[in-house]
Amino acid sequence: MISELISKDERFQEILERLNRKSVEDYYNPYRMFEWPDSLPENRWWMSPELTTTYGTEVAAELDQEQLYRLSRYESINFYSLNVDGIRDLIIEVTRRIHTRGFEIPSEFFHHFIGEENEHMWFFAEFCQRYGEKIYRQVESSGQDETWPEAASFLVFVRILLFEELVDHFNSTMALDERLHDTIRAVNRIHHQDESRHIAFGRELVSLLFEDLKTKASPERLDEIREYIKRYVNYSFESLFNPQVYRDAGIPEPFAVRRRLLASPRSAEFQQQVLRKPLNFLVKTGILHDRNLAPTGLPTARGNS
Amino acid sequence: MPNTTSSNLDQVRNWLLARTTERDSIDPDEDLITARLVDSLSFVEFVLTIEEASGVEIDREAIDLDDFRTLKAIERKFF
Repeated sequence: MISELISKDERFQEILERLNRKSVEDYYNPYRMFEWPDSLPENRWWMSPELTTTYGTEVAAELDQEQLYRLSRYESINFYSLNVDGIRDLIIEVTRRIHTRGFEIPSEFFHHFIGEENEHMWFFAEFCQRYGEKIYRQVESSGQDETWPEAASFLVFVRILLFEELVDHFNSTMALDERLHDTIRAVNRIHHQDESRHIAFGRELVSLLFEDLKTKASPERLDEIREYIKRYVNYSFESLFNPQVYRDAGIPEPFAVRRRLLASPRSAEFQQQVLRKPLNFLVKTGILHDRNLAPTGLPTARGNS
Repeated sequence: MPNTTSSNLDQVRNWLLARTTERDSIDPDEDLITARLVDSLSFVEFVLTIEEASGVEIDREAIDLDDFRTLKAIERKFF
């Protein structure tokens, strides 16, 4: 039982206390935190070029500097939009669990988590609406999933952790990138600061939930769950490649461009860079056996073009 | 509705068939979700495949799963 594992784990409780304290000490008013100029200069990078989906590919070589700037603008709006949609889902899942059996001890931190995520969602949405005049809505995943009731909470927190770690790779890079406007750097910096706590918490909780899962699930079931996690990693990464972005940036044949980019050798390399830290964590804890994300079962966009 | 031919719907069918080694055909009335030809993690790719094949931009906020359940429903709604 997870509550038993948590209540016996002094280290986890100490970390929780420290993170709760940090959340109180670092509390800020996001609504007064940022300077929002009326507009941001268009002829400049909006996202570090190395983080754009076309970087180092033949597609980028076909674009001039102005088109690359424009693309980086829409890619950045897509990135912040992914945050808006992702945060909505994680707030729903954490709210479902706060003050319920098994989560008595982390509920204090869940309050900070939900509050901070709500604020992040606000400033990402604000950025998209002010400077992109839209929030890109993602296609919500629909359809049947495997039902593994014993793994439900474990998978929720794995998904949250993967999302936060993926986003944090972008935030930590862009916070330091002097090619970007101050407002862009500030949004990324502030998010990175809060997410460091959320990621530290997520890693601890996922490790504990995995210990719990191992006592309940057969080795075959664990392998099925591993396969699902790898598919989820691919699914998350591929959401960065949005054909609506290529269309808005004025690139012809946006669907074909997306396929070309996902099939390019750079995309596998980019994925390993973006997900280096969470993959290391997942392999170290035994949640995954290896970092190989090539699909072994159903193909992804990259295996099915 | 844009002008399309059955070959456009074939793109969707081919995408589905490429995801399984166990089949070489799909009945137009077959429930793709129940048959596990599409699941939650492949649904996004599925929607993008239909958008590209049909030329119709699908409103992300108005997705009704029943419009995606069978090839017949997809043809009726998007082609």
